[in-house]
Amino acid sequence: MKKKQLFSVALAATMVVSSFAACGKKGTEETNSDPATEAPTKEADNGSGTTATQAPTDNGSKEIKEFTAFFAIVPTTEVNDDNEVKNMIAEKIGAKCQETWLVGQEAKEAVGTFIAGGDYPDFMEGAAGQSQLYNAGAFIPLDDLIEKYPNVKNLLSTADWNALRQDDGHIYWIPQFSAMKGEEKLTVHNYEAFWIQQRVLKWANWPKLETLDEYFDLIEKYLAEGEKINGIDNIGFTMLCTENTDFALENPPMFLAGYPNDGCCIVNTDTLKVEDYNKSDIAQQYFKKMNEEFKKNVIAPESFTQTVDEYRSRLCSGAVLGIVDQWWNFAYSVNDSLKSQGLDEQGCMYVPTAITLNKGDKEQWHTSGVDLNVSSGIGITVSCKDPDGAMKFINDLLDQEIHTLRFWGVENVDYQKDDQGYFYRTPEQRLEAAETVYKTTHLCPYSYFPQYSGTCDDGINATKPENQGSELYDNLPDSMKECFDAYNAKTYCDFFKANPKPGPWYPMWTFSNNFDTTTPGGTAWQRMKEVRLEWLPKVIMSDDFDKTWNDYMAAFDDTNPNAYLEELQTELDKRIATYNELNK
Amino acid sequence: MSLRSKSKSKANQDIQKVQFTWKEVKRQKVLLIWSFFIFIYGVIFCYLPLAGWLMAFQNYTPKKGIFGSPFCGLDKFKYLFDDPTFVRTIRNTLAMGVINLVATFITAIVFAILLNEVKAKKSKKVIQTISYLPHFLSWIIVTNIIHQALSHTGIVNELLVNFGILDAPIDFFAHPKYFWPIVAFANVWKETGWNAIIYLAAITSIDPNLYEAAAIDGAGRWAKIKNVTLPGIRPTIIILLLVNVGNVLNAGFEIQYLLGNGQILKVSQTIDIWVLKWGIGQGDYALGTAAGMFRSLVSIVLVVIANEFAKRNGEERLF
Repeated sequence: MKKKQLFSVALAATMVVSSFAACGKKGTEETNSDPATEAPTKEADNGSGTTATQAPTDNGSKEIKEFTAFFAIVPTTEVNDDNEVKNMIAEKIGAKCQETWLVGQEAKEAVGTFIAGGDYPDFMEGAAGQSQLYNAGAFIPLDDLIEKYPNVKNLLSTADWNALRQDDGHIYWIPQFSAMKGEEKLTVHNYEAFWIQQRVLKWANWPKLETLDEYFDLIEKYLAEGEKINGIDNIGFTMLCTENTDFALENPPMFLAGYPNDGCCIVNTDTLKVEDYNKSDIAQQYFKKMNEEFKKNVIAPESFTQTVDEYRSRLCSGAVLGIVDQWWNFAYSVNDSLKSQGLDEQGCMYVPTAITLNKGDKEQWHTSGVDLNVSSGIGITVSCKDPDGAMKFINDLLDQEIHTLRFWGVENVDYQKDDQGYFYRTPEQRLEAAETVYKTTHLCPYSYFPQYSGTCDDGINATKPENQGSELYDNLPDSMKECFDAYNAKTYCDFFKANPKPGPWYPMWTFSNNFDTTTPGGTAWQRMKEVRLEWLPKVIMSDDFDKTWNDYMAAFDDTNPNAYLEELQTELDKRIATYNELNK
Repeated sequence: MSLRSKSKSKANQDIQKVQFTWKEVKRQKVLLIWSFFIFIYGVIFCYLPLAGWLMAFQNYTPKKGIFGSPFCGLDKFKYLFDDPTFVRTIRNTLAMGVINLVATFITAIVFAILLNEVKAKKSKKVIQTISYLPHFLSWIIVTNIIHQALSHTGIVNELLVNFGILDAPIDFFAHPKYFWPIVAFANVWKETGWNAIIYLAAITSIDPNLYEAAAIDGAGRWAKIKNVTLPGIRPTIIILLLVNVGNVLNAGFEIQYLLGNGQILKVSQTIDIWVLKWGIGQGDYALGTAAGMFRSLVSIVLVVIANEFAKRNGEERLF
């Protein structure tokens, strides 16, 4: 009996002690991370200072460093741990990274949770929550590390690097998609558009759509035919109305009025003043049209309550004739799914249309060149024990050989090379590359690590297969080839006019993405988003459009949009001034 | 916690006769050591974190921390109650909390009594097992099922239209009036079987002699339920009600978060979601803390009121 008691007391004691130990550890970590944010360079020094202990890992090439990363982005495909290319890259450069993504949350909320916990993965991109991470001191300054690694250094021009400097003069993150080398090779329109299925265009014998009215006219006529796809009735038109993807709901008026993708406002190029498109006549005209189409049952009523997953699976069924969306938000998952079901040959793939609201308006759906996204990118966090190794990892991933491995895959397995060194894929390889299982087990693009668009070092090939001209065209199903030929296009970009960037401020969304409630404008922006999400569906579904529109306008004015516009104007002026400064 | 304190207070009454002497302490040393650990546990995990409430009175930034951030008095609370959206979330939370509480409470008791009346042992067991299985599903699965079933082309609309009850399918998630009933239904569907377990256990502990006596007095099934079963589980019902009243403001997070959308935000947003969105989402942790604090205080007040009420009526109570 005594022994038993003693034992239980001892057990309890160990439990308590161990819980204390855990607490103590957490406590020191917390106190550690606090000063670390004030003296981040010290932390970085610590990293390189421990190279002595790292040396054996570098020498013994068997040892592979493992990093962790979190991206506040909904992934298109996630890569398995035992992914083949991932391990090949790891063997070559001695490091690999486990990537985790946003699941069922909003970016800002996920980031906020990390900050509250105080423990970060080695790499992070906060997307909409990037400024929160920065304000919380989660990132270490990268200036010295960037100087040390040439591949990283050469990624962007000095002017671009300078644009990335924060108030304290340091660089904290690297935008992944803002780098181009060699000649621009672009085949997809990676932006927003009104998309329409190939079969509709074919049925109407390839009309040239110029206005929104023509676009909906055609869909209406095709719907009236009453055709079915796979036994499902056609759905005329749908779009997303979720918080993360509200652009499809609210910003088409900006494009339809003939302005480029500033995303959050219109910039008048003559007066250099920021204008609000939400209250413009164009917006009213657009939503009136949408209201009419809703009443005609062209716009699917479930559009306004569907989740992103439901939306994508609806597109994958092949039944939706028209959508407004950004290419990156649907194409990667939907096109591959259509292909694997054979629906691509039945004309279910989407073709972009360069339409405006009124005939003869200038269209600026597509702007050429890469946008420098100063608002977000990949950063190394204060929790990373080996910042030097982490930057080396980014550096090595930009190496041409590794870059090819990331995006093209393994030679003779995923792609072939002809006598001139030109990369191409066989039909089987293309099919394989579109398969989800293959993508998770074999291919490893490290898709949110820094990368190049444009041309490889060999001067022949595009850095990514989707940008290889022949690869896109050859890869198209016959139905789409027919369509491209009918419109005399070789790439998706050929459906649009080639527009240069309107000015050095472009795009303004890189600023508004980082709004938070610390400023009146940021608070207004958040409220505007809520009001639009609540009211625009009501406006579209309204029985009495004018009344609902007026109610919406009243609710919109309550959000204090002027504070928001003022802050955008300040940023616009700042960007123009910085540009003029650099180009004196 | 609360149950423990109840048993403690009972134990206290017995101990009062015991003199506080060194000998007595020695005799109870094992008990004392154990309770010391519990005490330490309570201090570390329940009371020390409350120091974080300081944040609610500061312009808190994670960079400066609790000790470095400037104090701003009651500004955050002022902001909270000036904000019509927050006031609306209080209404939503209370409304959904009360509806859920009443709905799940009544269904669980009724279900337990009905199940108790089933005489065939085997089918009783089967029904009980099946009924509490939904409890083990995560909300993400339940909400997905509900979202699909109630969607425009979902089974519910299909049935209603085919039976001629509706002319055209309705979008249940586009109209604010349907949201609270949907949430209540989901809660009932998921938790009824699980909540009934505790009542079933209470029913089995009722002395069978009472039923026999009632039968001799000529009581039928209905009279037995009314006069034996219900009074028998009355203490359990009251204790659980008291505990759950404190949870009214925990009306839920997942279900509203996952089923909500922009159009019904006005009725779907609960305090928890608001805290996530404006506190954590916008990096204003002080605001989130203030909202959380407000919620805790209201919960405490509710429990105290309910307890006092029970005390006055001579019922079982928590403290």
